Amino acid sequence: MNIYRIAALSAVTLAASFASSGAFAQSKCGLGNGKKADGEPIAVGAVVGKTGPDDFSSSAQAAAAYFKCVNENGGINGRPVEYLVADDQWNPETAAQVASKLVKDRKVVALAGNTSFVECGANAKMYSDEGVMVVAGTGVPRECFNAKNYVPVNSGPRISATIAAMYAAQAYKSKKMVCIIPNIPSLGNWACEGPKAWGKANGVEVETIAIDPGSADATSVMLQAASKKPDTIIMNVPKGILVPMLAAAEQQNLGKKIHFVSAAPAYSADVPKAIGPYWNKNFAVNLEFNPLESKGPDNLNWQAVMNSHGAKTDPRDTFSQAGYLAARLLTETLLKMDAKKIDRASVTEALRKVGDFRSDILCNPFYVGAGSRHNANNAGPMVVVDGNGFTTVSKGCLMADDPELVDVRADEKKLGLK
Amino acid sequence: MPDLLPFVISGLGVGAVYALSGVGLVVLYRSSGVLNFAFGALGALGAYVAWSMLESGWPQALAWAASVAVAMVLSLAYGRLIAPHLAQRNPTIRGIGTLGFALVVLGFTEWFWGEQPRRLVLPTDAGALELADVRLTYTRVIGLALAVAMMAGIGLLLARTRVGLKMRALANDRDLSALLGIRVLQVDTVAWVLSGAFAGVCGLLLANIVRLQATLLTFMVIPAFAAAIIGRLESLPATVVGGILIGVLEAVAIVVPGLASFRSATPFLVALLMIAFHQSNTRVA
Repeated sequence: MNIYRIAALSAVTLAASFASSGAFAQSKCGLGNGKKADGEPIAVGAVVGKTGPDDFSSSAQAAAAYFKCVNENGGINGRPVEYLVADDQWNPETAAQVASKLVKDRKVVALAGNTSFVECGANAKMYSDEGVMVVAGTGVPRECFNAKNYVPVNSGPRISATIAAMYAAQAYKSKKMVCIIPNIPSLGNWACEGPKAWGKANGVEVETIAIDPGSADATSVMLQAASKKPDTIIMNVPKGILVPMLAAAEQQNLGKKIHFVSAAPAYSADVPKAIGPYWNKNFAVNLEFNPLESKGPDNLNWQAVMNSHGAKTDPRDTFSQAGYLAARLLTETLLKMDAKKIDRASVTEALRKVGDFRSDILCNPFYVGAGSRHNANNAGPMVVVDGNGFTTVSKGCLMADDPELVDVRADEKKLGLK
Repeated sequence: MPDLLPFVISGLGVGAVYALSGVGLVVLYRSSGVLNFAFGALGALGAYVAWSMLESGWPQALAWAASVAVAMVLSLAYGRLIAPHLAQRNPTIRGIGTLGFALVVLGFTEWFWGEQPRRLVLPTDAGALELADVRLTYTRVIGLALAVAMMAGIGLLLARTRVGLKMRALANDRDLSALLGIRVLQVDTVAWVLSGAFAGVCGLLLANIVRLQATLLTFMVIPAFAAAIIGRLESLPATVVGGILIGVLEAVAIVVPGLASFRSATPFLVALLMIAFHQSNTRVA
């Protein structure tokens, strides 16, 4: 073999390995024709909680990257998307003001990629009154999953905790569990009532401990939970509170006596290292989407879009996956419409007809439908902390068996989805 | 009736650090008349410095020393550069000055280290005393021992040493002390450095026992104040007892139905009750 053949072979191998890793993957979006859209812009909004206790703008950043890609690839049949993102500052009053500005003044045809702790409660009724649909990135409080015009792409804390409980029953044969939740309005007990209702129907006792997130004393929470003699403790708390709680559990050596599982907030790249080696392969977490590094074509396309059209500083997290999906769903809906006849009423009508949106980021086909509330994403895989990362442990996705989903299941039946 | 003993023991560890923080506040108040709201923020910054050094592989002892040194230097900087300009103002303004300093330090810490969850692990976490099925880690035991030792040490310093006498004189009347020949800046230096050292040690302990989060650690000054108020900003033993009491009450509150979700209000409630109690006693007197 001469030196040129060796060099050529090496180059091909290198290129193939880069391509398979997604490093050189081409981003696909919209019409994909490489032509810049220069028609009349279509206004699309988003309300996010950027400044405040946490930065919840990752979904909107991913949606912005996707829309940018769409606009550089023919737009919506020639019309670019004008994406307007407003910060609610984690303040319900500000959330109402900025949403009103987007909906009533800027006349957005829809909103996409919203992620906020406060805006569902503040704006859901207004969105319904104004007939505008929101394809949200990530919904957290109860109101986000109980509104006619608000469609979160994620599954939410209640479904996520329910799946974590189901996994504990399957994998550890747990019969008694404690669900720990911060005492936050509109989140509080609701997010632990899913596991509780599922447990009641399946012979598993689930007790809730609502905690004060501002308290300095995590050890007492863990002792209180352990005093109930559970087989499993379900953590349904933000990662900032999760880490000290697991540290307290470790100090009391509870991880060797009780199984610990968590809802989705624990799925964050910095958590395994922060909680330390004690929890290695000993802490299972539910995901609202398939893993960030999964090799499905749509997940790879999300990464490619972020690399080609997002900022380097934009997070590549589950919020980002959600924002990408919200933007893709809206774009594909708009592309099926007559570009000249796009207005709010027609977009709302078209979105309500979405009945089979597919992506390998999601476990099941997603839909909007005409239901009075939306929780179409209600399945997810389980992973376990493994070294400084996570490894999938469930066989595929687990579908939440929360009795509260009875109306959602009925909608799925109507749409012909299983 | 639930078994309260495990929660009492659990509360001892946090309570001890509240007590130690309270002593740090009282020592500065008794020597310079300043209520130091920046105490928690300085401790938090020190703890983050220690975390960064440990992450970079520095030896434990050096990281702890750096943590305390950072808090001492910043405390001294405020005490020498800003505090003298406010020395003639009333105690409220002197206190508010430190609050402004706290917010600057907190802002820097949050900007520099961000909100990523972190954990400060100390070697003393590995061992523990087992009491009533609760593991009281050696870190917590050290916190308790330090609170008692510092109470005695600072008590002796203020009551029996020349510098302690000067500190008390300064707090009583700054101008008169200066006229009597006390070197005001020198005494101020000792007081602010001491307070900074307390902040650094408490920051390390709280970052380990509670959590390494700048905002939370900054506002840990509230239970420390409540402890100091129990001691009427004067009595060190009462401050230590008060701090431990607040920690234990906060821990025990978790088993009280309806209170568990609002445990962080415990220091405020204790402080309010104590202010009301002190006031009614003053009126009787």
